[in-house]
Amino acid sequence: MNYFFNKNGPLISTYFVIAIVFWLVFLIIIPQLYMLDLSFRPNLPPLLRGGPDDVHTLTHYKYFIFGSETSDDPYNYVDIGVFFNTISTAIFVTIINLCFCYPIAFYMAKVASPNTSRLLIVSLIIPFWINELLRSFALRILFAGEGVINNILLGTGLIDSGINFIAMDVALYTGLTYAYILLMIFPLYNAIESLDKNQLEAAKDLGSSTIRTHWRIVIPHAKAGIASGCTMVFMLTAGALATPVVLSSPNTYWFTQLIYQWFNMNDNWSRGSAYSILLLTVSVVFVLLMMRIFKVKIGEIIR
Amino acid sequence: MKSQHALNFLLGIYIFIFFSYLFGPLIIMSITSFNSLEFPSITPWECFSFRWFNEGKIAYDGQHLAGLASDWRLQDGLIKSLIIGLGVVILSVPIGMAASIVLTQVHSRLRTVFYSVSIMPVLFPGVIIGISTVVLWDRIATIGGEGLIADIGRNGIFLTILGQTCFISTYCFLIFVARLQRFDQTQEEAALDLGATQTQVFFKILIPYLMPAIASSAVIAFLASFENYNTTVFSILSDQTLTTVIASKVRLGISPAISALALVIILLTLFVAIIYEILRRREDRKKKERQDQLIYEETKDSRLKKEAKKSFKLPKSIYVFLFIFIVGIFGFNQLIKNGLYGKECVAAAEEAKKSNFSDQLKLLQQNAESVDEKALEGGELGGNKDYGDIFGDTNLFKDFGGFDTKEDNKEE
Repeated sequence: MNYFFNKNGPLISTYFVIAIVFWLVFLIIIPQLYMLDLSFRPNLPPLLRGGPDDVHTLTHYKYFIFGSETSDDPYNYVDIGVFFNTISTAIFVTIINLCFCYPIAFYMAKVASPNTSRLLIVSLIIPFWINELLRSFALRILFAGEGVINNILLGTGLIDSGINFIAMDVALYTGLTYAYILLMIFPLYNAIESLDKNQLEAAKDLGSSTIRTHWRIVIPHAKAGIASGCTMVFMLTAGALATPVVLSSPNTYWFTQLIYQWFNMNDNWSRGSAYSILLLTVSVVFVLLMMRIFKVKIGEIIR
Repeated sequence: MKSQHALNFLLGIYIFIFFSYLFGPLIIMSITSFNSLEFPSITPWECFSFRWFNEGKIAYDGQHLAGLASDWRLQDGLIKSLIIGLGVVILSVPIGMAASIVLTQVHSRLRTVFYSVSIMPVLFPGVIIGISTVVLWDRIATIGGEGLIADIGRNGIFLTILGQTCFISTYCFLIFVARLQRFDQTQEEAALDLGATQTQVFFKILIPYLMPAIASSAVIAFLASFENYNTTVFSILSDQTLTTVIASKVRLGISPAISALALVIILLTLFVAIIYEILRRREDRKKKERQDQLIYEETKDSRLKKEAKKSFKLPKSIYVFLFIFIVGIFGFNQLIKNGLYGKECVAAAEEAKKSNFSDQLKLLQQNAESVDEKALEGGELGGNKDYGDIFGDTNLFKDFGGFDTKEDNKEE
């Protein structure tokens, strides 16, 4: 510690300490811990907080699993269904994104000339500087009941009556895939780019087929990028709020929308916190799983 | 070799599809903002107009659809978004810088822990950061009682700045870490040996070296803050930023005014991207020229001397712009020829819709009357009575107000 102060001088050291403590303690750690604590407390009106009723309880987690006491179902099918639907959709979207992005990333990194790939990168970034809400809105214009796709299909006579893309959740899945595709491409691109082109040529000279080359050389080399891209896409998809708000059908809920409801409409902050903790747990488990499967460190996932 | 060509060709087609998937929706959205219909669409094209960029319109059924220029909520939200963006930049750039410099100074064991905690916020879903900030500060405000703390703790703008700073600092942190990896520590040591104080080293060596990182992290921080929705929607409480205004608009019903807003944002983005690209290329060229010059001076090899090219070379992309320009002119010409542009067209379409609407209203009333007569005649219909005859009430349509049908009713 002394060494630290000597090295930086008193003024700069003070600035460092204040900035880092403020960030790590007051912005990251304390809010999360407080939310965790709140999720174990009953939902009380402000006056009763800190009183005798304010004890630790598992009510909210029980509610998530068994539902309210007045309902007849043994389990809370609605919320659990939404939860697993959200997670499975997020995994599905992640896999789709990976499949879509791999050829593009490979093309940009190894096939295209530097100028072309530079141009491609710039044009990839442009759509992602535009607000997520507006991008979802663009898809909504396409998929709406009287939207562009329906009108074109009706006009050409391919279908007789409009298809309700939004109720079928096609719009939602497309929107989620669309929203975070960039976060899959860039880690993949960075990882593949560092691969030595000679290795590819050597594999070809030795008679390896294209698929085998990719499976045995490119993918193992790019595993950190794959892990990183998958983690980011999964996290953002599972925690997405803007896209489901715009594109989900009235009877499909995203887990974040449930949290939003408990929070803002039902004013039950502690239950909202409990649901948030569930979402956070899933995210953390997914990261750990990715680190395990691909044998990478956390530092390699986020760059 | 031939199969390789075929493969590359397929790859090219794939990339084309991919990019049309990326840009298609945005382009279509931009086009819909010029259609005067109140539902954003292309195929029933009514008129070409700029109304969604200006005052919007009052629809034939009395609903007011605001355009961009007349929407005070958007403007209010925009101002708040700018304030929040500024606050986030002011907080998160120094935090990210401090954390990244300290990371280079702590020893390896602590370093892993420190790094993991620092990048954690990126892995948290945005909603969770917003919620945790709100619940913590609500508690602080309750404990703090009346006064300054309570005011701060329930101020949406303040909470949003804090919540966004939590994870945007990590973005800044990562940018600084990348830059610091290439920092030559001997510079610092040299300065110290020559008698500089620690503070001087920081301001005279480290800060100038980090300047590009400071600039780019400030831009990234501002953009990330400006377009954030997930955290903001919780932490903003009763206030509104641009994104929450857009979200509530989209949820209430989709209007071409949002397309217009999107087009403005897209154009701004394109403008910034092009400027950035031009600056970067100029920088690259300068660097290359300097290097060539250096090589020439060292070797005095006349073959290496490059004449500065005087002639102005047209970039290839000019053809793309030319093509878009010509297509645009042609399309516009076509629009004017068919009378699909201008106030007359809009007025005519309005008139048509209005009369259509009143026709339907009349038909509805005629139906109601004819059913009434049948019911009075003692038919089996009776259904109307079950509903308390609500549709027979002539006052029902009075609330719509201001339509031609009202006069028609009186005459009947």
